Amino acid sequence: MSDLRIIDIEKRYQAVQPKNDASFMLRPVRLSIREGEFFSLLGPSGCGKTTLLKLVAGLLQADGGEIWVGGENLTNVPPESRRFAMVFQQSLLFPHKTIEDNVAFGLKMQKVGKKQRLKAARDMLEQVGLAGFGNRFPDELSGGQQQRVALARALVANPRVLLMDEPFSALDPGLRKEMRELLSRIQKDFRVTVLFVTHDRDEAFALSDRIAVMGDGQLRQVGSARDLYERPETTAVASFLGLRNILSGVLKNSRFASSDGTIETDVTKQLTDGAYFMVIRPEAIKAAEGNQLGHVSVSGIVQELKYGRGMYSLKVNAGNQLLECVVTTTQAEKTAVGEPINLLVDMEEVWFLKE
Amino acid sequence: MWRKSKPYLLLLPAAATIILLFFGGIFDGLLKSFGYFPAIGETELNLAAYDRLLHSASFWESMELTLRVAALSSFLSAVIGALIAVALFFLNESMKTNSPKAWHRLFQLPLTIPHLVAGYIVVLLFTQSGFVSRVLAAFGWIDNITEFPVLVNDPFGWGIILTYAWKEAPFVSLMLYPVLSRIHGSWREVSRVFGAGNWQFIREIVVPAIMPGWAIATFIVFVFTFSAFEVPYLLGVTYPSVLPVYSYQLYTSGTLSDRPEALAVNMILAAITILLGLVAYYFSKRWNVLKGWG
Repeated sequence: MSDLRIIDIEKRYQAVQPKNDASFMLRPVRLSIREGEFFSLLGPSGCGKTTLLKLVAGLLQADGGEIWVGGENLTNVPPESRRFAMVFQQSLLFPHKTIEDNVAFGLKMQKVGKKQRLKAARDMLEQVGLAGFGNRFPDELSGGQQQRVALARALVANPRVLLMDEPFSALDPGLRKEMRELLSRIQKDFRVTVLFVTHDRDEAFALSDRIAVMGDGQLRQVGSARDLYERPETTAVASFLGLRNILSGVLKNSRFASSDGTIETDVTKQLTDGAYFMVIRPEAIKAAEGNQLGHVSVSGIVQELKYGRGMYSLKVNAGNQLLECVVTTTQAEKTAVGEPINLLVDMEEVWFLKE
Repeated sequence: MWRKSKPYLLLLPAAATIILLFFGGIFDGLLKSFGYFPAIGETELNLAAYDRLLHSASFWESMELTLRVAALSSFLSAVIGALIAVALFFLNESMKTNSPKAWHRLFQLPLTIPHLVAGYIVVLLFTQSGFVSRVLAAFGWIDNITEFPVLVNDPFGWGIILTYAWKEAPFVSLMLYPVLSRIHGSWREVSRVFGAGNWQFIREIVVPAIMPGWAIATFIVFVFTFSAFEVPYLLGVTYPSVLPVYSYQLYTSGTLSDRPEALAVNMILAAITILLGLVAYYFSKRWNVLKGWG
């Protein structure tokens, strides 16, 4: 198996001026990415995900750690000999080369014959939906088409690992969705191992087999999209994944009481007593009257009501806590900003984090 | 009407002067080269001056020397200029300090010096009694300054070629450097990831990028050195002389009847320059050198 193993790789950037302590450090990262897996590095800007990607590519010299693919140690192998491919934020096509020559560039560097490499380039262009574009120049293509060419250029050389650095961030939302679908299909067809960098949660969730959430130069949590979203290990991961309903409190004798008194309820999960954060996903809250089994009732005042893609997003002031939830259009029509509302929280969907 | 024609009217004095002096001069020269010279009583148009020139051994020797000097000067300037530009580019890429800028300024220095002064510098440095030969003799590398090769006022034209190489190489690098700086920093990363080493990067990306600018800069140097007068006049020999000097010698020979030939030389120079321009344009179109750069 040609798994990609990143063993305690680290990188320090010194501050440009000695007095300035704005240095950056990628703390030792240990990851194992299976052959054929789509793995994403997800995190905010400046968290070190691109640094990690460039370390894997060999474009940056690591200060420690090793990179292995299968049984081969690539730590000191220059990038040109790693047989990796990369797609960048911009397409970075060579403007003086035709589309066909751009796609065939990697094969040319591998000394593949002209006839063979151009045929491979044409076949790959067909795969990305650009058959017949081979003789054009990059400036004759749209941004989305250029990025497809960049994808074709990366895949045609049959790389051991495909590295992608926020490849769709410069595209408009429609094109981005189209490119995601294309990438997903092609990755499955070619069974290529992908290491994908993004700050877009939806993108990472839609594409990845597993995701590593990064922050402040370190890995915070690795898991499937569902694992991360439903069982975040820290409040930082929860917050980054858009989970804003985080209530601190104390669990004692299977009963949780939030510090601000908003929620006090029995907990059926097997947890030891102590201080906890209760993470409530917006989908676990519904607008409803009365009591339901396994639910806890919360009352509050509607502070914000926003429409978004078929659902309304509500912010409700409940005591000192601002709760976010999503409701249907019908439910939203029954309330307005400033009006009281009753909410039910599904305790089965709530997640507890030890403080 | 007035508002539309006002800019043209304002430009008229300058335009009229240029048209009169430039095109008038060319037209006058053309007429005289065709034998129309009322001052000596010649009012008929003929090709006698061209005929005499094309059958004269001196003209062809001058032509050979001119082509040799221009070709070697352009070749040396193009190679040295490209090397300087690429070196500055990589220096800039690899260093974050101000030293590339200082180097840049140093290489720009020859641009500020007039050709005639550059010619004198070459005289002072490279004549047999010049600075270089004296230094070599002082260090014992040559026994006598007469052992130093004749590089100035030599029949081959080395002095002229040296002067032009020194003077025009920075011009070529100045033309190429902005083109090189258009090369995206990330292209090096892209090419490395796809398996290109340094030489492959230069061959596949850098050379194609600079080729159009390089060809144009070299062409400009060639055309300039082909028709320049002062440096060959200062550093050349009396015979054979380059075509512009040959034309001057004919013009100032004291015989008015030589003047149509002198002007015919100039017309031939102009015609060759235009022809070379057309050839350069044709090949730049054919090689698609500018395609894709937008």
